[in-house]
Amino acid sequence: MSKQGGGPRWAEALIRWMADDGDVAEILGDFYETYAQRRSERGAFSARIWYWRQTSRLAVTLIPRRLGASGRTHRPRQVSAANSPNISTLRGNKIMSIGQDARSALREVRKDFRFYAFAALIIGLGIGANTAVFSVMSPLMLRPLPFEDPEELVWVALSEAEGNMSLVTSRASNLRDFRELNQSFDGLTGFFAFFEYQSFNLVGEGEPERLVGAGVAQDFLDVLGVSPLLGRNFVYEEGVWDGRPAAILTHGFWTRRFAADPGIVGRSISLNDVPTEVVGVLAPSFDFSSTFSPGSRVDFLRPFPISDETDNWGNTLSIIGRLKPGATVESAQADLDIIVQHLQDAEPDRWGLGAVVSGLQEQIGGRFKSAMLFLAAAAGAVMLIACANLSNLLLARGTKRHKEMAIRSVMGGSRKRLVRQLLLESMLLALLGAIVGVGIAYAATNAVAGTTAVRIPMLHSVSIDGMVLLFTLGVALVAGLLLGVLPALQMSQGREATILNDSSRGSSEGRSHTGIREALVVAEVAIACILLVGGGLLLRSFVSVLDVQLGFRPDGVVAWRVDTNRNLFDPDQPYGGLPGAVVFYDQLVTSVEAVPGVEALGLSDCLPLGRNRSWGMRVVGQPDDPEHQYNVYPRIVDFRYLETMGIRLVSGRHFTPDDNWESGNVVIISESGARRMFQGENPLGQSLTLAGGTEIVGVVEDVRHQTLEHTSGIEIYLPMMQRRWGTLDMVVRSPLPPEALIGPVSAAIRASDPTMPTGDFRTLNSVVDRAVSPRRFTLLLLGSFAGTALVLAALGIYGVLSYNVSQRIPEIGIRMALGESGGQVLGRVVKRTMTLAVVGIVIGAAGSFLVTRLIGSMLYGVEPTDAVTFVGMALVLLSAAALAGFLPARRASRTDPMGALRTE
Amino acid sequence: MGKYLMGEFEQLVLLAAMRLGEEAYGVSVARALTEQTGKEVSQAATYLTLKRLEEKGWLESQAGVPSTQRAGREKRTYQITEAGLAKVRESRATLLQMWDEVAEQL
Repeated sequence: MSKQGGGPRWAEALIRWMADDGDVAEILGDFYETYAQRRSERGAFSARIWYWRQTSRLAVTLIPRRLGASGRTHRPRQVSAANSPNISTLRGNKIMSIGQDARSALREVRKDFRFYAFAALIIGLGIGANTAVFSVMSPLMLRPLPFEDPEELVWVALSEAEGNMSLVTSRASNLRDFRELNQSFDGLTGFFAFFEYQSFNLVGEGEPERLVGAGVAQDFLDVLGVSPLLGRNFVYEEGVWDGRPAAILTHGFWTRRFAADPGIVGRSISLNDVPTEVVGVLAPSFDFSSTFSPGSRVDFLRPFPISDETDNWGNTLSIIGRLKPGATVESAQADLDIIVQHLQDAEPDRWGLGAVVSGLQEQIGGRFKSAMLFLAAAAGAVMLIACANLSNLLLARGTKRHKEMAIRSVMGGSRKRLVRQLLLESMLLALLGAIVGVGIAYAATNAVAGTTAVRIPMLHSVSIDGMVLLFTLGVALVAGLLLGVLPALQMSQGREATILNDSSRGSSEGRSHTGIREALVVAEVAIACILLVGGGLLLRSFVSVLDVQLGFRPDGVVAWRVDTNRNLFDPDQPYGGLPGAVVFYDQLVTSVEAVPGVEALGLSDCLPLGRNRSWGMRVVGQPDDPEHQYNVYPRIVDFRYLETMGIRLVSGRHFTPDDNWESGNVVIISESGARRMFQGENPLGQSLTLAGGTEIVGVVEDVRHQTLEHTSGIEIYLPMMQRRWGTLDMVVRSPLPPEALIGPVSAAIRASDPTMPTGDFRTLNSVVDRAVSPRRFTLLLLGSFAGTALVLAALGIYGVLSYNVSQRIPEIGIRMALGESGGQVLGRVVKRTMTLAVVGIVIGAAGSFLVTRLIGSMLYGVEPTDAVTFVGMALVLLSAAALAGFLPARRASRTDPMGALRTE
Repeated sequence: MGKYLMGEFEQLVLLAAMRLGEEAYGVSVARALTEQTGKEVSQAATYLTLKRLEEKGWLESQAGVPSTQRAGREKRTYQITEAGLAKVRESRATLLQMWDEVAEQL
């Protein structure tokens, strides 16, 4: 246990603690000499026993002495002329005297607990901000993804497209061919990106429930290097078209629904009336939805066949690959480029070919990188302000402690030692702040991790873990150093004589001293200004996003997911086939329409701001070249949907009940679609190459379908009566509040089909809300940072001015005795405040000008140099400064001249 | 300091330190005493006594060089001071006188 070259570790530590600093080396050395000798003569055990006996003998004498003299300095050693300062002794003392300084710092904190509690709160705000941001960032950007060798994993998108999930997904045939032809991957796999739009009704295990199952390629888990907690991965027979039904439950669902019963593996559950074997359970660390589809929920994985059948579904796969050792993103890209070219040459008609390789982590976290870095910078700025603030407080206190320092200095404390003592005090302060900060961050991350309202990946794994705590500790130490260094240097200045002079004369402090403090305040105001401008710009962006022309009216609309267990398109079933399916849903609609308060309703397989799927098609009569091949976003709707949603008709007509399986195929397109495909020509009467020719009968207003920020692509609406659909949402418009609507509508749905789950509804406003959630999240964080900064800066101004005033009471007294009025005094102090604030704002505005360019990508509908924001924030800061300066100014103006002179 | 009488162990330590001269430090003093008295003298007690004697001004100390033998720790060696020498003389005189007075009874 004892390390090489010393006695028993704990005994040595005890001696270090209880002995005087100067004596430790001597004792340890003496003991060690004998200890080593005994060890060679009588063995280690006997030597240890001896060492401990000696130590306890010392303890009996030294510990009472130590405890009795907790405030002691060095007991004076008799210094004879012969052995005055001895370098090696001093070095030996060093380690121990740090311990002593730490104890003395602790004493200092205890002595003035209220000041330190307040200070720790301020620094805690700074540390809390940093810790919170770090803990959100860490799973997204720093912690490796919870897969084996995650750096080898890449995402293979169809093409490079921002914010457009549909172009990230690929056709099944792409995966099939890439698998066969590539030389760069150890494995290529994928999952069905639109799993949220399939649903599985679980019946026979308690309440019927709509489940979400994510379809994954059979080798999905193998490529990621994830093994199930229980059971096994899918096997070949389960991964083919029409294969044996199987499911792997997510840990969350398994715990929630089956009370974590391990016996579930091997059992069969009924999903959409199909007996499905549960073959495994995922480990809790593998959170599919928060990794690949934040903001959604996944109950189980199911095999998704890579086959001709699924290829016909279009761009539906998210492809993930594992690079071979030695392969890089670039080499894989080059490899796939050649393959894509080759495939296109071989089959010129083939659509939806393409491959863009990027790192998986980058793909998952990359979108949030700039926002996160920005927030981190903002948190750092809050920290700087907090440090400047505390520096100022400590400097002000410094005057009080100058005498103590002077005495210490006279008594022989070296300047280095005094600086160290003071730095230790500020470190201690920062560590106290770290405790407060961890508390703040804990509350913040708890709030964040529990929410599904924010679509930011990996949010569920946000927590205060060891790495975060280590980070906090690091931040605290840096903060302690930052905030302590100025006061320490200032206070320890060897000016004993001056100090005596200063305080006895009662004059104000030296100019340089006040200068430092005012410079700190200016810096605080400048940083606060940058944060406020940043926050202001984000706020204005947020408002513009909310102001976006959605193209539909979400108010008063509730959407129900209406799925049935019936296989509506199976000709052997009742309702089998398209006409039957339409009849089935007509009954449902009729039943819900009868509910009092329902104004209008409609059906769609694709609500705005949710699903995205794209098909490739052309316009009949246009040249057959890639330039005239369009990516369109289809929505299958009933004839009531567009009007119920409030999507305005621009030209042509809406669908009618007569647009059915017996009449010619028709389509309604969006305004942007008309512009893109027909460049000003009249689209009505033209046809798309869909189902052998589909006539355009109407043009409607654009709808923000993908994100609020992106303008629409080419959207087409197809009538339900002419095309099979997957899952449907029913939108119900009513003036009633949603709470009042939900019960009756659910009852009406059940009346029409008792097996249909009715629990899956949301208001369209909440859908819109979810789409703005990352933006709101950023705004909220930055807003609170900016608010904190403002308060801290105001506090800083207040602190410095009120201190200045209190120092200058005698001077003010003289001035007033000589005839200056209270108003003039007030004016002078306020003017000083404003000067400081204006200088800070000018510097801050210049800084903002540089900084806000960097966040251009996060802004929407507002320029980074937006004058309104700059001026507005300057005004906010000025008013805060005026308020902070007014209180001390008023106090100064009420100085009693006689009283002030008497204290002189 | 006047009429303070040295304890037996204090005297033994002081005398051992004188005898060892420049080589007097915790370990050598304890070893010398062990050899002389024939029973194990505690290192800790020796150390505490050396300290006490130093505080009283009878010994003075000097830090030496660290050595590997001491796991890199400095050695502190002790020399008797003028005051110490005076005290030893005084103590010796007192004791000799008293011994003389009882010599016949021994």
